[in-house]
Amino acid sequence: MNDNNVLTVAGLRKKYKDKAAVNGVSFAFSTGEFVGLLGPNGAGKTTTIKMLTGLIRPSAGTIHYYGSDFRQQSQTSKALIGVVPQQNNLDRDLTAYENLYLHAILYGIPNGVRTQRIDELLDFSGLADYRNRQVKQFSGGTMRRLVILRALLHEPKILFLDEPTVGLDPQIRRVIWDFIVKINRVKNTTILLTTHYIEEAERLCKRVLVINDGSIITDGDPETLKDGIGRFVLEIHKDDSIEEEFFDTRDEALAALHNSTYTCKVRGVTLEDVFLRLTGRRINV
Amino acid sequence: MFNGIYAVLYRELSIYRKRAIKQILSSSLSPLLFLIAFGWGFGSGVTVGGLPYISFLIPGLITMNSLNQSFAISAEINISRFYFHTFDEYLIAPVSHAGIVVGEALFGVFRGLLAAVIIFIYALIFKVTLFFNPIFLIAIVLHTFIFSLLAVTTSMIVKDHSGQALVNNFVITPMIFLCGTFYPIDKLPYAFKLLVYVFPLTYSTKVIRAALTGGEVNILYVGLMAFYCIMFFLTSLWALRSVEA
Ligand SMILES: Nc1ncnc2c1ncn2[C@@H]1O[C@H](COP(=O)(O)OP(=O)(O)OP(=O)(O)O)[C@@H](O)[C@H]1O
Ligand SMILES: [Mg+2]
Repeated sequence: MNDNNVLTVAGLRKKYKDKAAVNGVSFAFSTGEFVGLLGPNGAGKTTTIKMLTGLIRPSAGTIHYYGSDFRQQSQTSKALIGVVPQQNNLDRDLTAYENLYLHAILYGIPNGVRTQRIDELLDFSGLADYRNRQVKQFSGGTMRRLVILRALLHEPKILFLDEPTVGLDPQIRRVIWDFIVKINRVKNTTILLTTHYIEEAERLCKRVLVINDGSIITDGDPETLKDGIGRFVLEIHKDDSIEEEFFDTRDEALAALHNSTYTCKVRGVTLEDVFLRLTGRRINV
Repeated sequence: MFNGIYAVLYRELSIYRKRAIKQILSSSLSPLLFLIAFGWGFGSGVTVGGLPYISFLIPGLITMNSLNQSFAISAEINISRFYFHTFDEYLIAPVSHAGIVVGEALFGVFRGLLAAVIIFIYALIFKVTLFFNPIFLIAIVLHTFIFSLLAVTTSMIVKDHSGQALVNNFVITPMIFLCGTFYPIDKLPYAFKLLVYVFPLTYSTKVIRAALTGGEVNILYVGLMAFYCIMFFLTSLWALRSVEA
């Protein structure tokens, strides 16, 4: 066991009745890593995060934070974790401030600094105007930012973000990207992010895990993964579909293009190509 | 443990503050209707065990109203578990299950005690003399704890809203009608008496009525109430653990 790892997971499994939602996954994160967990709908991303954050009990496997067993040291470990769940779980009847204050109590932030810490974060993230408004009046983007803010209030060492930008407009998404990148760089917080926007993972993550049907099928950095399938794509626009062929160099792709009678396009490989190749199906965005 | 209790109470009371008037009004109406219907309409001139019926009824209404209010936290925890997922915030936080259970239960006790206060006000209005004493205080706190903890247990076990309604209809309502809140249970047929002595409400009603009307309190019953309290605390912990399964 390497104690320098923030998180070490071995053989993690969750079985529901007849089906394994997560079927024995293993990985380790070191301090400051920014990891993407990608996979189609129902692959087991949320289930994995729920087990890692103590919301559900694994059927098998072990979880260690800084070398100590999550089951035995759950309260100490939980204090190091920040979670942005897939579904917003703010208290809609409370104000932004009250939601954050509740979180501050739960995580044992001392009475004297609670309000100060909350106001600093609200200022830092540009949500100060919403401080005393009830959450039920917020737009989806504002709620999402508040959920992220709340997860950071106790300065976690590791942050789990389950589809943090789903359903948000491009501008808010960029605001959120900047925000979490800053947290990762400045505070050296380890981050695990799931997303269906593959270009988001490509932009943010230094390492990507692909999970399919409950098993991790790839673990690597985006550039190496892209090299693995070839650097260039030839898109062949047929009448009823677009076919793709992969090549290591632009010249090879162009040569193939000249032999084709259909409309064609040569472009660089993206992480999405890797993803679709690996999971063998298109995913819903 | 303390952080959990404080956090849960902070949340519940912050929300309660915004709804207090509505909730107090709605918990005032049904006991008033009972008082008018049974106290004046049906019970005037009737005596039960040497007491005017309305003096018999008032302690029953205290247990009924506080039970209803304490148990009502069950439906609310349910909503926060299944619809808004706010309960997950407690589960992922570094707080003990015992803290969450005690926090919710204390909120239930608070609501139950407020409901009892309302009946005391009615007693003043209807000019019913009550004996206020330490035994009553102990009993009403135990009583509201029992049903708050039962509420926590229930809300952790049921899987959705209809499960919650099932418990209300098959446990809470029968209890209120069978356990001596409106009439002395010795009039019930033998089979029912057996059933009634399983329900904790029977004991709290007996103790609270005796304390408030100057009767003799059976200490064994107070002990049984404490027993139910501990039992439902344990079932709450167990049920909360099973939520993570
Ligand atoms: N409580 C449950 N009972 C039974 N099956 C479940 C339960 N929760 C999840 N599953 C199943 O486990 C599988 C994995 O679900 P999970 O939510 O982890 O997927 P996901 O990768 O997060 O998907 P998405 O991208 O759609 O959020 C799915 O097939 C799902 O139906
Ligand atoms: Mg999910």
